[in-house]
Amino acid sequence: MALIELDDVGLVFRVRRFGRVSLKEYLLHGLFRRSKQATFEVRALEGVNLRVGDGDRIGVIGHNGAGKSTLLKLLAGVYPPTTGRRLVRGRVSSLFEIGLGFEHDATGWENIAYRGYLQGETPKSIRQKMQPIADFSELGEFLDVPVRYYSSGMLVRLAFSIATAIEPDILLVDEVLSAGDLAFQAKARQRIRTLMSSARAVVVVSHDLESLGRLCDRVLWLDHGTVRAFGPQEEIIAAYAQASAQLQRSAA
Amino acid sequence: MARYFRDVWRLRYFWLALVSMDLRRRYRRSMLGVGWSLLHPIAMTAVLCTVFSTLFQEDVRTYGPFLLAGLVTWNFVVSVLNHGCQCFFLGESYIRQYPAPLAIYPLRATLGAGIHFLLGLAVVLVLVWCLNGFSNLPALVSLVPTLLMLFVVGWSVAVCMGVINVMFQDTQHLTEVVIQVLFYVTPIIYPAKLLRDRHLAWFVTINPAATFLELIRQPILDGVVPSPATYGLGMAAALTAAGLAVLTLGKAERRLVFYL
Repeated sequence: MALIELDDVGLVFRVRRFGRVSLKEYLLHGLFRRSKQATFEVRALEGVNLRVGDGDRIGVIGHNGAGKSTLLKLLAGVYPPTTGRRLVRGRVSSLFEIGLGFEHDATGWENIAYRGYLQGETPKSIRQKMQPIADFSELGEFLDVPVRYYSSGMLVRLAFSIATAIEPDILLVDEVLSAGDLAFQAKARQRIRTLMSSARAVVVVSHDLESLGRLCDRVLWLDHGTVRAFGPQEEIIAAYAQASAQLQRSAA
Repeated sequence: MARYFRDVWRLRYFWLALVSMDLRRRYRRSMLGVGWSLLHPIAMTAVLCTVFSTLFQEDVRTYGPFLLAGLVTWNFVVSVLNHGCQCFFLGESYIRQYPAPLAIYPLRATLGAGIHFLLGLAVVLVLVWCLNGFSNLPALVSLVPTLLMLFVVGWSVAVCMGVINVMFQDTQHLTEVVIQVLFYVTPIIYPAKLLRDRHLAWFVTINPAATFLELIRQPILDGVVPSPATYGLGMAAALTAAGLAVLTLGKAERRLVFYL
């Protein structure tokens, strides 16, 4: 069973104006109460209510910095909510920041194993998945080479192949549809479609309104961290497109 | 808490794989391999032995193993402190993508240091056996609880250092200085008796490193099971460190990702 419930969820980042706080700064601040390095708060998400259950295909749209990726990370459990309640049931697989998280001195094979273990695989269960992952990535004998010698396209291929190899209950996708070269993109799209049809619940973030319309049945429109609208995809996408067009016109 | 440890255990293949990769990476393209980590304390011991045996007429047969045991243990402490500082930065890309319990990253640092420590300890045992033989072999069993306590202390310290270093990056530099100072005030290259005779016994008592040095040296070098009081001190250090680590993680577990 797959279930996501966000109950009035808010997420506040505390950002320092000048990078990190030094120990000196902290002590001065603690002792004299007048630090120059004020922190300011970014309300990344505010009052978000969402309920995703079996069979739901949810798209998330919004301009840059609206909180789309933050919402996905919150759903994945990487960011805990500052306020409100987050409930996620089911095995989650997430496709975001896909090039990250490789051990550069380890080979492709080893990295497949590490990521697999992190997703809860055992040496036994990962062994059966190794070959399909390798085949899908089409990296061939490059898998025997340390990842540091890979091109960025090859990294994406490997990461994508690993992340999509487990069958999740809940799939979170962040604009990875533009992964790798053209041939691989087509393959990746096909893979995501199969995954989306087998996963019980899917949340996709994308700027590609056309493919969102095809993939999702409901769309969440985020605006400055709050939910602007949530409903059937045709309706919301149309409203969003209209608003964007209006913005462009007023800018022109 | 039990659930937390279960999560850590569930991901054992992950951190074990990383530990073994760390080992291989460290000695990639080097001929001696792991031998390098042993060479350092052995070379130090050889040099200091030569110096001290000529200067102070120390008997090499007792001073050599004494020194090597001290240096090997001290290297573990240093390694836990230094790698503990870096542990969350090393795991940053994983922390940003998967909600895994944070304690696995300090664990990775501690296990790596622990493997080198155990190898070093093996060399010490061989050295003692060759030079003097063991007068009381069963006393070595008393090392088992010591090593367990040392592991708890190491993991806990790595947790605390890691979290503090993410919050204040000066920590890693400050640590280097502190390590240097601690090296001289801890009875590593000289016996604890020297401090005790100069009314500094209290310092040996409150210094957990001194306690563990004693817990490790006594059974190996003297064939004596350490006194319950010494074990008590070690236990107190382990419990205090573990308590601090639990408190630190309790505060940091949900927030650390924002500071990376």
